This record gives sequence, structure tokens and C-alpha cells, in this order.
Amino acid sequence: MKIKSLLIANRGEIAIRIIKTTRKMGIRSYVIKTAKEPNAWYLEEADEIIDFSEKYDEEIPEFLDIERIIKSAKKHKVDAIHPGYGFLAENPVFARRCEEEKITFIGPSHDAIYRMGHKTIAKELAREHGIPLLGGSPGAVRDADEARKIANKVGYPVILKAAAGGGGRGMRVVEKEKDIERMFSLATNEAAKAFNNPDVFLERFVREPRHIEFQILGDQHGNVVHLGERECSVQRKHQKLLEESPSPALDNAMRKKMGEAAINIAKSVNYYSAGTVEFLLDVDNSFSFMEMNTRIQVEHPVTEMVTGIDLIEQMILIAEGKKLPFSQKDIKINGWAIEWRINAEDVQSGFSPSLGTIEKISWPESENVRVDTGVRDGSVITPYYDSMIAKLIVHGETREKAMQQSSIAIRKFWIKGPKTTLAFCRAVLQNSNFRKGNFNTSFLSKELKIHYQNEPDDALLAAFFATYDYAREINENEEKPLHTENGKSITPWVLKKRLR
Amino acid sequence: MARAAKKKQSTKLIALSSTNKAYEFKKPLEKRIKYQGKEVDIKLHEDPKGFSYIVWKNKKYLLDVIEKKQNRYTIMVNGVWHSFTVETPVSLKRKRYLEQQVDASAAVSIEAPMPGKIVDILVEVGGEVKEGEPIIILEAMKMQNEITSHITGIVQSISVKKGESVMKDDVLIEIKKG
Amino acid sequence: MDVKGKNFTRFLERQQAHNDQHDARAEAKQHSKGKLTAWERLNILFDEDTFEEVDAFVTADKTDTGFGKVQQAFGDGVIIGHGLIRGRLTFAYAQDFTVMGGSLGSVHAAKIMKIQDMALKMGAPMVGLIDSGGARIQEGVASLAGYAGIFYRNVQSSGVIPQISVIMGPAAGGAVYSPSITDFVFMTDQTSYMFVTGPNVVKEVLNEDVSLNDLGGAGVHSKKSGVAHMVFPDEENTLMGVRQILAYLPSNNMENSPEMDLSADETADVEERLREIVPDDPNKPYDVKDVIRLLVDKRSFYEIAENYAQNVVIGFGRMDGKVIGIVANQPKVLAGTLDINSSNKGARFIRFCDAFNIPLLILEDVPGFLPGVDQEHSGIIRHGAKMLYAFADATVPRITVILRKSYGGAYCVMNSKNLGGDFNFAWPTAEIAVMGPEGAVAILFRKELEASEDPAAMKKELAAKYRNEIANPYVAEERGFIDEVIDPAETRLKLIRAFEALETKHVDNPARKHGNIPL
Repeated sequence: MKIKSLLIANRGEIAIRIIKTTRKMGIRSYVIKTAKEPNAWYLEEADEIIDFSEKYDEEIPEFLDIERIIKSAKKHKVDAIHPGYGFLAENPVFARRCEEEKITFIGPSHDAIYRMGHKTIAKELAREHGIPLLGGSPGAVRDADEARKIANKVGYPVILKAAAGGGGRGMRVVEKEKDIERMFSLATNEAAKAFNNPDVFLERFVREPRHIEFQILGDQHGNVVHLGERECSVQRKHQKLLEESPSPALDNAMRKKMGEAAINIAKSVNYYSAGTVEFLLDVDNSFSFMEMNTRIQVEHPVTEMVTGIDLIEQMILIAEGKKLPFSQKDIKINGWAIEWRINAEDVQSGFSPSLGTIEKISWPESENVRVDTGVRDGSVITPYYDSMIAKLIVHGETREKAMQQSSIAIRKFWIKGPKTTLAFCRAVLQNSNFRKGNFNTSFLSKELKIHYQNEPDDALLAAFFATYDYAREINENEEKPLHTENGKSITPWVLKKRLR
Repeated sequence: MARAAKKKQSTKLIALSSTNKAYEFKKPLEKRIKYQGKEVDIKLHEDPKGFSYIVWKNKKYLLDVIEKKQNRYTIMVNGVWHSFTVETPVSLKRKRYLEQQVDASAAVSIEAPMPGKIVDILVEVGGEVKEGEPIIILEAMKMQNEITSHITGIVQSISVKKGESVMKDDVLIEIKKG
Repeated sequence: MDVKGKNFTRFLERQQAHNDQHDARAEAKQHSKGKLTAWERLNILFDEDTFEEVDAFVTADKTDTGFGKVQQAFGDGVIIGHGLIRGRLTFAYAQDFTVMGGSLGSVHAAKIMKIQDMALKMGAPMVGLIDSGGARIQEGVASLAGYAGIFYRNVQSSGVIPQISVIMGPAAGGAVYSPSITDFVFMTDQTSYMFVTGPNVVKEVLNEDVSLNDLGGAGVHSKKSGVAHMVFPDEENTLMGVRQILAYLPSNNMENSPEMDLSADETADVEERLREIVPDDPNKPYDVKDVIRLLVDKRSFYEIAENYAQNVVIGFGRMDGKVIGIVANQPKVLAGTLDINSSNKGARFIRFCDAFNIPLLILEDVPGFLPGVDQEHSGIIRHGAKMLYAFADATVPRITVILRKSYGGAYCVMNSKNLGGDFNFAWPTAEIAVMGPEGAVAILFRKELEASEDPAAMKKELAAKYRNEIANPYVAEERGFIDEVIDPAETRLKLIRAFEALETKHVDNPARKHGNIPL
């Protein structure tokens, strides 16, 4: 079935990113307007706006309000819904509701979402298909006692993870047995709060692993390919800060091995659409399956840059029931791409969010630079959504060239307004171990001690600028002539009444 | 009036950083600075989009005044923020003198300006706060009010919890100047 | 004239004696305390080389009252004179702490009175730089009489010429009343104090230990008491601040404020960012200063009493080069409600603007008066009435823009049309009603709500309906209580034109000695 209209149940850069493809494919795009950012850019890019701003429910945020979105989609007779990432992207109920209402959900089946979303089920599947796993609990851990038993079996350190989780919340590393009780209650509480589900499971904690994920594409006819890996090890508290493709850690043999494992996992749930299989890679090159993300990822552009494949377009074609136009042997990884996440965060004080208005933003336009963003001059960073301002994706023939280009692009990426992670990006690029490709998930905590880059004369120039501005303002005040004569020649009409 | 107004001459200015480092500039308006013993011209530009930048050693340095209040400045260079106070030689001397007089260890308490309910606490003990930075959201009369810090320093203690009701002048947070 | 002759030699000798009086040790002492000398201060305050001293050789009486001798010094511890500030004639006195601690004796006082009289005669601003230990005890009642004479002149000058007091050291006892009568009080942080009774007396009478700073420092007076309008970190910035404020003020009550050319990068008359500042959610705070800065000429907003009663924002600005006074509710603080302090702050400023022909711009977002036992018992009724009185009594052009909330009594007070407001504009976000929707429906539909199965939902629904049908600017617009609902982006243009239209406004108030403002 050909999709002619598409509702994007998302906002910001990903909404704009999806619109770019729908425009190319001649699909009419619909977006949702909220009271939280009634002037956001993505609204202007879309063909149609569905207004949620008039009536807002304080209990359910707009992009999580399944029934309201479904109702609106039906009212406007849209053919399909793309959930983007976050919000309802991995909500099996939403996918099922779409199926029930005969709206095409751009993504996998609700069953695949459910099974991969539930970590214990996903792990069971992986075990059945012989995919390597970290030792740990087979399912949710019942209580602290059970956690202790399993932990003693697999050995410390262990990590407790929310079964329904993601994005680092509800995760607790336990170093020693004496901490397990406390950590268990912390993790369950956090999981209950964040995901409405207190289930946690336990697994062996790999101390300094690499985080490597494989991009999967599958159609509804049983064909699955992988589009290579993404290196996502540079993280802060499990939040990715930059991604690259390919990974400097993999050779072709490893890539093949892990890619096949990823495809197998996907096939185990008859996966179709775009998806991502995450692995941990240990120092000894052993890898273990972590989880599968059943959605488009924030970092998908690096894969697009090196493969030349428009992932959103493929997702839509797959949803229409089309067969994949390529097989594994057709996929070629061309050069190197790095994505720098530019967040409105204060790297000088522990990446705390930095709200405010983006007064001005500008970036270098170039062939090997791609910028995905949902903001422009005057956009407001609100506390309601995440702090990502933009993604800067840079492509080069080699990793070395990609880094060199990145250096230039970051230097030319200017934002006036909130504090951003640009200074952090520069600091990463200056790090020799990063440049060598020699890093893992402990990069921030162990290797990069100062999270922002200072040029030697930064402070001097800043000091100069402060004094210059101060002197200039005094000078300007003093130099502007005051016209007192105007103030004295007052019409008698007025003057006469000045006194009572 | 016969006598013409003479403008105030700009004099030597000193930017004093938050880490107490002093940068001296003889005549900042003339855009010349002393660098490694030599007088160097500063090339200050504004691009069409309104960004200010300095070309320094063949590199562009993006600069912006993030905040200014009287003589207190926060300047951004290449995405990193630097805080200064701009002083004259006289005011710098005064500042140094006054610094000796005040008890540096004293903590300043931030009190509730009105009765209400604590909706959110935006800082943590040990965290750094800047003057004017919101630290607590207090709901009163169905409105959310930002309570801001009036000094820059480190949070020493937080005396309230989320959801707690407070009376006017209750101590919310103590901040150690720094 | 024979320059070698007796007369001229004597003249030169006296000049020399005056110069010799300069005491390097005393100066160094003043510097070591982080303070400048009186002369240094005057040199910063006035345009270079324009200050002319008057009464340089006046000296204190030689009579000894039995409580010690009075130091015989030229000038008697105060410099008086006139000069130019940004080209405009200004009179000033500067107390010299190095002469008997700047204490005020009869001659010292007479000099201040002399310059006050001159300023009033000439119709030029008067600036007092105060750094004085207080009344000169040795002189007894004569020094007290001096204070009274200064106060009398302060009052006579009030509303005729702008008077500014700059506290640059101690101001204790009776000395504090002169500043408090003047229009604006500037203080320098950490080195200036004002109090009626000092820490020693407080200790004696109440047995309370309090430091100079905690009792009457710049922080206390700018935040808690509201006595000081402006505080600066050092003396140079303080004096530059005085130079700056004077650029907004006329020399006297018969003139208009000086105008200023617009620079090339001037504020846009149509500013779309104004549409973004006020949130649609009526419970969300925002900073009204963001609105002000976009409305007035670039960098022209000069805020006054920034740290005191922050729920109302006052200050000067320029529109199209012409000075206006701004009174704005601040939704960021106390939800923008009016309380005792903010009413006092606003009322005094309105009176000043009216006295000196400065048109008023009122930016309104006020949910009402601050409720509470404390407020009622402290007399919010009387204090709130000051603001109302000040508006109704003002004959300068007054324009109100209702940004968002405008409820109940506070609507009336904030320069409503029937209080004599010349133009009342409203933004589409305005809510004008007797009270907020939630409160209104609770009263109007009390019975229905009690009977309802889901009162909360019903209340929400009714409130939304009320907001939609009653509490919007269009009802008021149709009935003429609002002259026009305007696009926020075009507000500046509308205001410039409205102020232009009001330039020749004059009002006939009934003849009277003076009204009786509820003090």
C-alpha cells in the first residue's frame, strides 16, 4: 500500500529529518503542535499542523497521548505514523493501536517491539539463538537475596538494570557484596519511577567495554541486512555524546561475526523496519548482546553518511510492504563519519542543562558536513524536552580526515545563547587516545578529565573583551550628545499648565 | 552654554577573573594589548549574523557577552564561559582591601520570600551556583516562582525537601561564598 | 594691577595656604579604606575641568563651646560648587571625611545650604556626595539647626530640581533625612552606611549585636528597606551611575528631559520576539524586563531599585530618543502581585516622573494584591492606595499595556482607563476580569460545583469557558475600556506614536494647595 500522508508523532530535529524524506517521496507530512513550543521550527517545515496546544492535559504529555494521536490521525485520514525516537517509538501498545486502527506504523510489529523491549525476553531469545550474553539473572530479580545469590555466581562487579529501561536510568553498578541490598532498592525505585515498572535484572558488569551497535534493516518478507556498526563508547552516565561509523575497534572479520549475530537476533522476532542491536565489546574482543532498539536512532546519520542509504526512506518503503532493494553484499561502507551531539549543557559544571534562547546559530555548509537540528535563531530551549540542540555529522575518507574536518567544522559551529557541548567536542578531538581510536566507555571518567577545551589565550581574549565592552559602553554613553534645547522649547500650551 | 562638554577619558582597565587572575589593558578601546612583551593589535570583527569574533594567531575566536551587570561580566570564548569584574586601578585596590575585611567562610542563607510549597530544588549540596541562577521553584498562589541565588558560591546545605511547605523567611538553602 | 604688589601677593599666599591644606597622610588614609577623597570624587562626577568651587576659604567659627576646639580648615570639611555633567549645569557638594570626619557644623551646613539655594535658583540638578560622621558635637545646637536648614531646602527643591544623594561613607543620625527626601539615593557597597541610630546604641538599648553592614549597609538599604535606589561595587561606578541617571532627567520641572539621537543599530519598531516572551500558560512566570528591553531604545533601560520589592520593576528608558518612566509588574517575583513595598516603590517613582514631566509607560501583568494577614495588618489598604493616588494624580502622558493578567482592584490601580490613563492597550494574551477564572467560577457556580460528581473537572471546564468568554481583552475592547488590542510585535511602534500624540497633553486639575496623598 502506497503511503500518501504521514503523521510524525515527534518534534524537533527528528521531525524535520523525517519531513526531508517525506518531501522527497511526495508524502504529505503532518506534525503536532504543542503549547510548550508553539513556534518551533518543525511546525513550519511540515505540510499540515495538528494543534494540540489549545487543550492540554497535564497528566499525559502530548507526544505520549496514544489515544489523542490515534484520534487525530484518523480525523485527518493519515495513512501512516512515524514515531521518531523516544516518546512512543518503542511502545508496543501504540504500535498495536495503529495496527488496530489500520494506520501504518512506521516501525516493526508490536510483537517485535514488545519482545525486544522486555530485556528478559530479549535475552532469552538471544540465548536460544546462540548469541553470546553476559552472565546474570535469567529474568527479573525477585529480591535483594536473589540478587546476592546471582551476583556471587557471576562475580562482582555486577550491574542492575531496569527491565523496561534505557538511556541510563534505573542502572546501578554494584562493586561489592555489601552494597547489593541498597543498590537493589535504589534501582527498583528508580525503575518504578522512570518506567512504571520496578523489574530489574542483573548481569556481570564489564568494566571498560566498548559500546558498539549494528544498524539493521529488515523487510516484511524475511530479508534482513546490517549496515555496519556504530561506535558509541564516548558516553557520560550512559548518555551518548558522539558516535562514529565504522568503529576503530572492528576489523572485517569481527564486523562479519557481530553483524551476523545482529541479523540473527532480528530474525528471531521476524523483525522488519530499521532497528539497532547493541553489543558490549570487551578488551579481549569477546562481545555480548545487550539489547535491541526497535526504532530509528538519534545517531542514524553516521550510518547514512557511510552507506548512502536513506534510513527513513527505507523504513517507509518497508512499511509499505516493499522488498529491500539490496542484499548484504551490496552494502558498502564508504569512508568514515562522526556525529557530534551538540547539547545545551554546561560542560564547566558537570553537563548541567543550560536553558534559554538561542539568539543566533550558524554552522559551516560543506559537502562532507551534515547538520540535523530542530532549532534556529530565536528558538527556545525548554525544560520539557531533552537538551540536544543539533547533531553535527562530518564525513571523511578516513578516520583521520573525518577528525580533521570535524575540528574545522566545530570551530565554525557558532551558537549564541545557552552553553553547549561544543567545547567538550573540541576537548575530545584534542585527546590523543581518542585520536588513536583507543577508548572505551570509561573515556570520560578516566581519560578526559577536563571536559572542555581551552585555547591558551582564551582567558586573555575574554578578559580583553570584557574591558573593551565596558570601556565602549562608557564611551558610548558619554559621547552620545544630549539635546537639552529640545527640552526647553516647550509650547506655551503645555508650559502654562506645568504649574498648578 | 559656552563651555563644551569634555568626555571622560578612558583609562587603564583590569579584568579580574573569578580565580583572581588580573589581566591589565592600558587602553582597551584602542584594541591593543601587551602580549609576551610586545604590543599587539586585536582584530575584532562582527560577522553578518551578528557574532563577534577576534582573529588571533590566524584563528577565529568566537566571543560573546553572556551577562553583564554593572562591572561584572561573563564572557564566552569558543563555547567556554569566563567571569570577570572590570576594575580600574583604584577600584582594584579597593577590592583587595575589602577582601581582607570580609569573613570569607561565612555562608549566606537564602530565605523563602513568601509562604508556599517547594516544587523543585535545582541544586545539590556541593554544587556551584551563580548569582541570579534559579535554585528553587516555589509554588505560591498557584504560580511557580523561581527563587534565585543572590551570591555566587557553593551550596553548603539544603534545608527543605521537594513537596514541603515553607513559611516566609524560612531558610531554604545556605550558600558558601566562593 | 601690580602682580608683585601687596594685594596680589596676599592673594597668592592664600592660594598657597589652601593648597598646603592638602594633607597627603589623610588622603592616603582615605585611600587605604577603599575610598576616594572628596576632590577625586568630584573629578569623576563632573566633566573634565569644569568644576568651579564656591566658598573655598570659608572657615569654622573660632568659638570654643567648652567641648573642644573646632578644627580651623579652609572649606570646613565640605566642597561646594558647580560644573557640567555631560555638558549640563549641575550643582554639588562633597563632604570631606579628612576634615573632622566630615562632621557637619554650622559653617559646613551654611555652605551646603548656599549651594542648595543656588541650584534651586538656577533650576539645575543638585548632587550631594555624603561622607560624614554626623553632627559636629562640639557645635551643639548650631549643627542641628544646620541639618534642619538643609532639610528645609531639600523639601523646597523637591519636585522643582532633581536631587540626588550619593552615600560614600557613613551617614548617621539626622544626616540620613536629607538623602531620604531627595529623589534618588546611591550607595557604594561595603563602604557606605545609613542609620538613624548606630550599632552602639542598638547594643545599649536592645542588647543586640549588629554590624555596621547588617544594620545599614548598601545591601540592607537596597534590598530590605528600599532607602537606597542604586548600589554599585565601587565609588567610580557609583559616580558614573549618577552621571548616567542625570542624562534621563530634566534640569528642572519646567523643562523636558534631554533627548538623544538614535544610533544606527537601533531597536526595530516591529519586534517579533515580543510575541514569544509571555507564555500562554497563565501560571508560567517570565521576566518582564525582557519585554522592556525590546520595547525601549537599545541599551536605554536604566532600572531603579532593582533589588527592592522586585515584584514591580521601575526605571527610565528612551523611546525614539525621548525619556519615559516605566512601571511594570514582574510576574517572575511573587507572581507580580502588588504588596506594600512594591506599592511604595511604584508610587514614589510615579510621583517623580509626574513632577519632572516624564511620560509613564505601565506594563501590566498583575493577578491582584498579595493576600495575607501580615499585609492586611501592615496596611496594604493605605499603601496600595498610594499607587492608585499617584497614577490618578499624574498629569503626564500615561499609557498602559496589559500583557497578561489584569484582575480586580489591581486592574483599577494599574493606571486603568478610568483612572485617567490616556491609552490602554492590551496584548491578545490579556485576561481582564474581576478575578482569576478559577476563583470566579468557584463563586459563580458554587452550588453546581458542590453537586457535581467530578468538581475538579467541572471547575477546570468552567474556568476555561470563563477565560474564553469573559476574561479576554476583546470584551473590554468592545466596551472601550481598552483602546486597542495590539500585536505584541508592533507594540513599540504603537507606543511611539501614542506618546507622540500625547506630547501636548494638559489637564486641568482643580485649584488646591496640594492633595492629601495617603502617606
